Amino acid sequence: MYPRPIPETARSARAAYIALVVAVLILWLLPLVTVMLTSLRSFEEVMAGNYWGWPKSFNFVENYTAVFKQTALARYFVNSLIITLPSVVGVLVLSTLTGYVLSRHRFPGNRLVFALFVGGNFLPAQIMMIPVRDLMVGVGLYDTYFALIIFHTAFQTGFATLFMRNFIAALPDELFQAARAEGASPWQTLWHVVVPLIRPALAALAILTFTFVWNDYFWAIVLTQSDAVKPVTAGLNNLRGEWTSAWNLVAAATIMVAIPPVAMFFMMQRHFIAGLTMGAVKG
Amino acid sequence: MASVEIQNVEKHYGGFHALKDISLTIDEGEFIVMVGPSGCGKSTLLKTIAGLETVTSGRLRIKERDVTHLEPGDRGIAMVFQSYALYPHMTVEENMGFGLRMAKRPKAEIDAAVSRAAQILRLEEQLQKFPKQLSGGQRQRVAIGRAITRSPDVFLFDEPLSNLDAALRTQMRVELSTLHGRLGSTMIYVTHDQVEAMTMASRIVVLNGGRIEQVGAPLELYTNPVNLFVAGFLGAPRMNFVTGKVTSANGRSASVTCGDGLTIDFHNLIETPAAGATVTVGIRPEKLHVGDRVATTSFPARVRLTEYLGRETIVYADAAPLVTSGSDSGTGVFTVQIGDIQPFMPDAPVTIGFDSDAAYLFASDGKTLSAAKPVTKI
Amino acid sequence: MSQFWRRHRHWLAPTLFILPGALLFGIVIILASVQTIWVSFFDWDGVGPMQWVGLANYEQLAADPQFYTSLKNNVIWLVMFMLAPPLGLALALLLNQAIAGMKFLKSLFFVPLVLASVTVGVVFTWVYDPTFGLLSLIYGWFGATAPALLSDEHLVSFAVVIAALWPQIAFCLVLFLAGLNNLNEDLIGAGRVDGARGFAMLLHVVLPQLREVSFIALAVTVIGALRSFDMVAVMTSGGPFGSSTVLAYQMYEQSIFSYRFGYGAAIATVLFAIMAVFIAWYLRTLLRPEQETA
Repeated sequence: MYPRPIPETARSARAAYIALVVAVLILWLLPLVTVMLTSLRSFEEVMAGNYWGWPKSFNFVENYTAVFKQTALARYFVNSLIITLPSVVGVLVLSTLTGYVLSRHRFPGNRLVFALFVGGNFLPAQIMMIPVRDLMVGVGLYDTYFALIIFHTAFQTGFATLFMRNFIAALPDELFQAARAEGASPWQTLWHVVVPLIRPALAALAILTFTFVWNDYFWAIVLTQSDAVKPVTAGLNNLRGEWTSAWNLVAAATIMVAIPPVAMFFMMQRHFIAGLTMGAVKG
Repeated sequence: MASVEIQNVEKHYGGFHALKDISLTIDEGEFIVMVGPSGCGKSTLLKTIAGLETVTSGRLRIKERDVTHLEPGDRGIAMVFQSYALYPHMTVEENMGFGLRMAKRPKAEIDAAVSRAAQILRLEEQLQKFPKQLSGGQRQRVAIGRAITRSPDVFLFDEPLSNLDAALRTQMRVELSTLHGRLGSTMIYVTHDQVEAMTMASRIVVLNGGRIEQVGAPLELYTNPVNLFVAGFLGAPRMNFVTGKVTSANGRSASVTCGDGLTIDFHNLIETPAAGATVTVGIRPEKLHVGDRVATTSFPARVRLTEYLGRETIVYADAAPLVTSGSDSGTGVFTVQIGDIQPFMPDAPVTIGFDSDAAYLFASDGKTLSAAKPVTKI
Repeated sequence: MSQFWRRHRHWLAPTLFILPGALLFGIVIILASVQTIWVSFFDWDGVGPMQWVGLANYEQLAADPQFYTSLKNNVIWLVMFMLAPPLGLALALLLNQAIAGMKFLKSLFFVPLVLASVTVGVVFTWVYDPTFGLLSLIYGWFGATAPALLSDEHLVSFAVVIAALWPQIAFCLVLFLAGLNNLNEDLIGAGRVDGARGFAMLLHVVLPQLREVSFIALAVTVIGALRSFDMVAVMTSGGPFGSSTVLAYQMYEQSIFSYRFGYGAAIATVLFAIMAVFIAWYLRTLLRPEQETA
């Protein structure tokens, strides 16, 4: 291990080290912590200008119910779920198929198709904004859930294909030869051999895709405009404009937006980290 | 009846010529072992028979049926892989029944086939376990069991024992031979281990550079290799090879001189080399002896190193200016194998002798020139 | 039919498998990106007919001072983002100790990575607020007045980038921690036996083993910098007076707000070109080792 581990016997050194790390952590998360505290403050306190000190009173229930009652946040929240969950499922299905074919079947152009998936996945979203928006307007999907579901599924399939291809390519080749030798059809091989073996990859991809799609802001503002469809990220920015001085409520809304991905992250941290590093490192 | 017929099979990978005009007919019930150095094409040939690789040209028949363009699952074969290739997410039972399940056979039939295989391989207790809960030998047996349940016309084995430790390998070798005797099926077995080849095969196929060098019964190949490659490949420790010159040739006899003055006479040659030609003389380590025994041919040497293996003693002896080529030790010394324990002082001068009838003569292109030697009949 | 299928399924099935994903990705992502280049040769308001104008959009772009501001800001983003890998590595070195509780602390360090950029933007807008912000509070302790970062046209871009660096550093931290986990213990041991320690060890033994991870960290950082849009949109909307725009934001603004889709497409194409150079380099590095073994 590097740096050299602090010996287990050096108890005081270990305690001091943890204290140092905690101090750095507090600095690191200070902006977020203060937002969390502000989300608990009373309106009077905010008006009085206490944004960063310890809250004088805790208004957890009041503030968070107010956000849901007085704003469209609940609607945005549901919208985000309606957009995110089908996108995740779509990405998992499509990338399992593409990743399986690209990793296990040699055909002319295999490398080119793979390079297009990988390369396209790195394109900045703005490059395809005009045609995609035009396409969605053209087929009548602009400002519907489908516009965002279709786009996110398509875009995330790029990264997911890279991820799946590499994961399936790392499975032992002999498993696939054995399946062929035993007469399993490509579909049977996919269903009975590949899918059970890629469960960890599916979990990792699910959490990553969920985070990416949930956090998207750009496409939310490009492909939707009505509150009935708008996801929570775009909604939050609207709220911020409408409730300029109600910092406590905007703070509560901000925390609400952050909760699903953060919660997912803590629940599936191992998969998230493994996914992110494998997707990136194994390139 | 021919079980497997391979006719003029060629395989190219881009610019690489992996299989060169392979033809071989395998009879029902034979145990064929394909050996050769790595990259010789033995695994490629096996995968071609399995259908996991396509042929560039040529035909393949299994039980009189042309299978050249059939999918592996339709060829009537079953394969056992080096890494066992057990599905980690399936129990032993599910692994063994996989092929039949994919073929959508009735459950009763699958159960019967699985329990029969489990009984043959003594896996009844392990059926509900997952591969990771099994030992190496048990995993190997499951892989074999998976092959048995399909009741194939031909079993294919791709270096199945090379992931096992030495003790288990011996045990599995015996088990596989027993299984072959019990099932009586045709088996094709690829290995780089010549002990496996010598002990299990009814016929050995030696491959080199994508070509079949020789096909025959183990002792036939050991005693009468058709060329220098086969002579060097089979036998451990390796045959000693010394370069020499033909000093005189007469009818079917020739005299060959190696080094400064070691002269060996060969009679009844298959083919007589021209006088002055460069040839190679080969002599197996167990045919050399050290000391005063009367021998037709002998030369002086110094002991470099002695390995005491208990039931035998291996002596590496330096006979400069007489040098061997391509020996196990990587130097020019002679390898002598003695069948008991016999002490030698390092650097001690010794006389090495052998019977010239035991020597082999190879032409410069590797072809065996010396007369066939009698093969012990089993 | 079934005979036909059985004979040909070894290539028909894979074709059917890959088709949905390839078509969707091909049309929505690849084709759309290429189409942008096509649109850039037109004058178009997004609704009416398209008018071919050749290179006029690009000529206009070359004379547009706003374009150079965006370009300059993109460079600022790119250069400042280069701080993310070393800072991420530094944090990773700090956190790579097996002490009780460290695991939990590590995951707290990762949190900025999973926050939506809107969240980060909102959080930092408050940090920078000249009257009530955290920054003004800190300046206040020293009796100074905090600069209004987000309304200062010289400082605004730096302020936005610093906010964006927060999650980016967390990303690099995750990558480097994974890299440190995969170090070859034997090499570290050999280094210790040979008397390497501290910085010398880092330089000569550890960093060479982190080459691959560093490459990835650098790549995702460059991509992150070139993609920058959300933070600008949330924190400044490109202001004040367009001084914090980047190419992506300018393109969005021109198309959506000014209905100049052709012009927007031209900006996107320039961004595309910059990106393409980088992607080509990345793919080449990525695919090369595989080609050697293939």
